[in-house]
Amino acid sequence: MTAAAHAQDHAHHDDHAHHPTGIKRWLFTTNHKDIGTLYLWFSFTMFLMGGVMALLIRAELFQPGLQLVNPEFFNSLTTVHGLVMVFGAIMPAWVGFANWLIPMQIGAADMAFPRMNNWSFYLVVPAAILLVASFFVPGGAAASGWTLYPPLIIQQGISIDMTILAVHILGASSIMGSINIITTILNLRAPGMTLMKMPLFVWTWLITAYLLIAVMPVLAGAVTMLLTDRHFGTSFFNAAGGGDPTMFMHIFWFFGHPEVYIMILPAFGVVSAIIPAFARKPLFGYASMVYATASIAILSFIVWGHHMFTVGMPAAGNLFFMYATMLIAVPTGVKIFNWIATMWKGSMTFETPMLFSVGFLCLFTIGGFSGLVLAITPVDITLHNTYYVVAHFHYVLVSGALFAIFAGVYFWLPKWTGNMYNETLGKAHFWLSVIGFNIAFFPQHFLGLAGMPRRIPDYALQFAEWNMWSSVGAFIFGFSQLVFLYVVIECIRSGRKSEQLPWEGADTLEWTHLPTPAPYHTFETAPVVK
Amino acid sequence: MIGAFKAVFWSFFGVRRKAEYDDDAKKLTPQAVIAAALVSTAIFVLALYGLVKLVTR
Repeated sequence: MTAAAHAQDHAHHDDHAHHPTGIKRWLFTTNHKDIGTLYLWFSFTMFLMGGVMALLIRAELFQPGLQLVNPEFFNSLTTVHGLVMVFGAIMPAWVGFANWLIPMQIGAADMAFPRMNNWSFYLVVPAAILLVASFFVPGGAAASGWTLYPPLIIQQGISIDMTILAVHILGASSIMGSINIITTILNLRAPGMTLMKMPLFVWTWLITAYLLIAVMPVLAGAVTMLLTDRHFGTSFFNAAGGGDPTMFMHIFWFFGHPEVYIMILPAFGVVSAIIPAFARKPLFGYASMVYATASIAILSFIVWGHHMFTVGMPAAGNLFFMYATMLIAVPTGVKIFNWIATMWKGSMTFETPMLFSVGFLCLFTIGGFSGLVLAITPVDITLHNTYYVVAHFHYVLVSGALFAIFAGVYFWLPKWTGNMYNETLGKAHFWLSVIGFNIAFFPQHFLGLAGMPRRIPDYALQFAEWNMWSSVGAFIFGFSQLVFLYVVIECIRSGRKSEQLPWEGADTLEWTHLPTPAPYHTFETAPVVK
Repeated sequence: MIGAFKAVFWSFFGVRRKAEYDDDAKKLTPQAVIAAALVSTAIFVLALYGLVKLVTR
């Protein structure tokens, strides 16, 4: 090497050793770990905001009659709670995991487009502000339900425009994030890291990113049509002008059903990393897991009609969506089977990440089964818009997606921070969450079967008892998340120093090829995977 | 190409024998698998539609 080349190499090295500090570090960062951290804290903040809205809803529903909030505000709470949890909490949390883990798990130095990565994050902040600030404008926040159905949504005030703009910005952010993730996975893998050697989390995110690119423009189109119906005299969804509100439902749910898988596929990836680590066995049927994930993604595009069995589709349409929806349970069942087979005769221990993963497995399966019940058209016609549906999707998204997020945070906290969390408090967080969650949401199956409609601030007296239990459970679940916050902060500030490999069964690159905690820059020289 | 269709069929079911999967990983290209998946999805949708037509006749 010549002296000039050596000096250049040295300068290059110094540039990479640079570790920015202070507010500029976070504002201008292009480091995948920093951006991952920003996403995770942002999503937790939004989770707490959405959680406060949920507790207001449950406080109002503790007893029949109107106690705390007026009906318009109640409708805004249910709407913005849904939007905030879906777009502000769960999705950004998974993008945070993707940022932290994908480069480390495939042996890349960073994401493919680091500046775009920074922009992806800083777009979600104004979108969140728009959503939350809409509570304070005349007319109050959007009150149509998170599905934004016309004609109700056409009639409300400026908050709808704020919500539409927020959805547009979030969509742009998601598409940029997805392009980044796909390019990183396809182009920056270390030598020897073939597609079929990638950890399941990377696979599930690759497929999720394709889903996002496919459906976010569809949602953007739908909300743009809402905007022009509101302000520019079009009648896409206005029956008086020759339009059709049902068309909005079709377009929305063509986005909305893959969206469910966007929130749950990365959870499958996280659980597929944790269960083998704590069962001390390789994942059973890795290839079939990849195949099943791809299959679920494809099928997710042809089942949207099961959200609208009651709108008056022809019988043939209802039957088609019923059959297709039931068939999607097959690859999902394969996954459940594989996780159980991974645990079978394993040398298992039950630290907090494993507890949350097993909790995920049991409770997500309940959500899956209640989904199968709702897939049966004649049953759905009875249960549509009841609390049974509310119970079903909370079993999928809370004990599914959210529990997997908790599992993942506990699993990778030592890698991220270099410190161990408090195991006793972690377990307390799990048990409080699982008990509170089940008290909150299991009775909602009974309420739905008894005919209680969703999105109402008041209800008939026969629903009083289970509503009271549901509210008690919701408050236990809600406040137990403060334990999580405490555990994470304590871990970062004063946790016991973690061993290099705190989980003996963990075998992906970030555990085997990198120190704990992961340095600011990793894999400047790509590892060779054998 | 027939190999790609077989792999996609098994992926719809969600399982695959290890030896055959190893064989797939050696022989199949991503382009062939994606093309086979799109065609198979169309066939799947048409088959479901046919079944629906049959039972509502």
